[in-house]
Amino acid sequence: MRPLLPSLLLLSIGMLLSEAAAAQTRCKSPSPECVAVGEWDISVSLGAGGRTNPIRGNSDIPLIVIPQISYYGERFFLDSLELGFTLHENDTHTFNLVATPGYDRVFFFSNDLQNLFVRGAGGLVLTGELIEGSDDVRAVPVPRRHTTYLVGPEWIFRYGRLIGQLDGLYEATGRHHGHEVRAAVATPIIASKDSLVMSLGLTFKSAELVRYYYGIEGLYEPGSALNPFLKLGYSRPVSERVGFNAFVHYEFLDDSVSDSPLVSSSGVATVFAGWVFKIL
Amino acid sequence: MPVVTPESIELKVRPRVCTLSADDEFCQTVVRAQWRSPRDESLCLLIVGQPHIKHCWERHSKGTYSVELTFSEDLLVELRDPELRDVLASEAVKVIREALRLRYRRRQPWSIFY
Repeated sequence: MRPLLPSLLLLSIGMLLSEAAAAQTRCKSPSPECVAVGEWDISVSLGAGGRTNPIRGNSDIPLIVIPQISYYGERFFLDSLELGFTLHENDTHTFNLVATPGYDRVFFFSNDLQNLFVRGAGGLVLTGELIEGSDDVRAVPVPRRHTTYLVGPEWIFRYGRLIGQLDGLYEATGRHHGHEVRAAVATPIIASKDSLVMSLGLTFKSAELVRYYYGIEGLYEPGSALNPFLKLGYSRPVSERVGFNAFVHYEFLDDSVSDSPLVSSSGVATVFAGWVFKIL
Repeated sequence: MPVVTPESIELKVRPRVCTLSADDEFCQTVVRAQWRSPRDESLCLLIVGQPHIKHCWERHSKGTYSVELTFSEDLLVELRDPELRDVLASEAVKVIREALRLRYRRRQPWSIFY
């Protein structure tokens, strides 16, 4: 359980800083930033887009239908594939305990939950893939990558127009026992009827995690990875139940990931544009 | 508790409370008023803020009146003398608004789900 220690430290630091309130914004009416407690929010996005697949030989992942479901109770929340429990929230700080999927798995299987409604081109399983080196060719069995969930504390802070997020996560499904630290800041560039939000972030993946997804036993045993990313998200409500959403996301892959014989690119791009229909 | 005047006119109004959810602006319900007195009375039933509602009885010891109403504030039902000067009994239907509680939505920049 040693990897939990940094997570708990992060949470403690966050709690200590929670009294240092800065410029505050308050949730006064339902908006993309504020949700009603105790109400389900179910919607579906229909559009066009895709996520490039850095895994050699695997198809890019088309994004056509993106379902979204969320429920925020007084403390418990479910937001698509993530769920959690809020320990403390005020206008400046939120401290949660969260459970979140490992996002690397989407590149390996078309039946991943995250691809459930995103029709894959099939043939994403790498088991038995031939790994080609420069001067020899070896058949290397690549074991299945399973669904993993990570759990840990999360600190969200709001400072003026900036929203920061820091997650210290430990893999809790017993596959690789690695950990991941996710850090991001977001700020609105346009905040009127149209909303344009820019996010910048970093994802630290421990060596265990990187090896599980991108390593090959005896051939490639990478260390930890630090992947920066940039995301731009645009939304515009058209009516009470219909809106337009679009986003562009690019993640730069650390050398320890991109140097893997399984990986053929140094980044992952995701784009989507479509209509959002509120069902509930 | 029904209001009992010194003359012992007892007035009951149903419902006692109308609860509005966050999405509701108005209560729309049938309001039923029932009164009784130990002796015959001549009186009129009025509802404050609803001038079109007036129902009178002459020399009755009890009476019932139902009406469908739309209202957004507390509703005050009154029994007055036939000249509408004195209030003989009154009872309210309380409007309770369910407060909409809001909290911050998490951002998930790592997810394709926005």
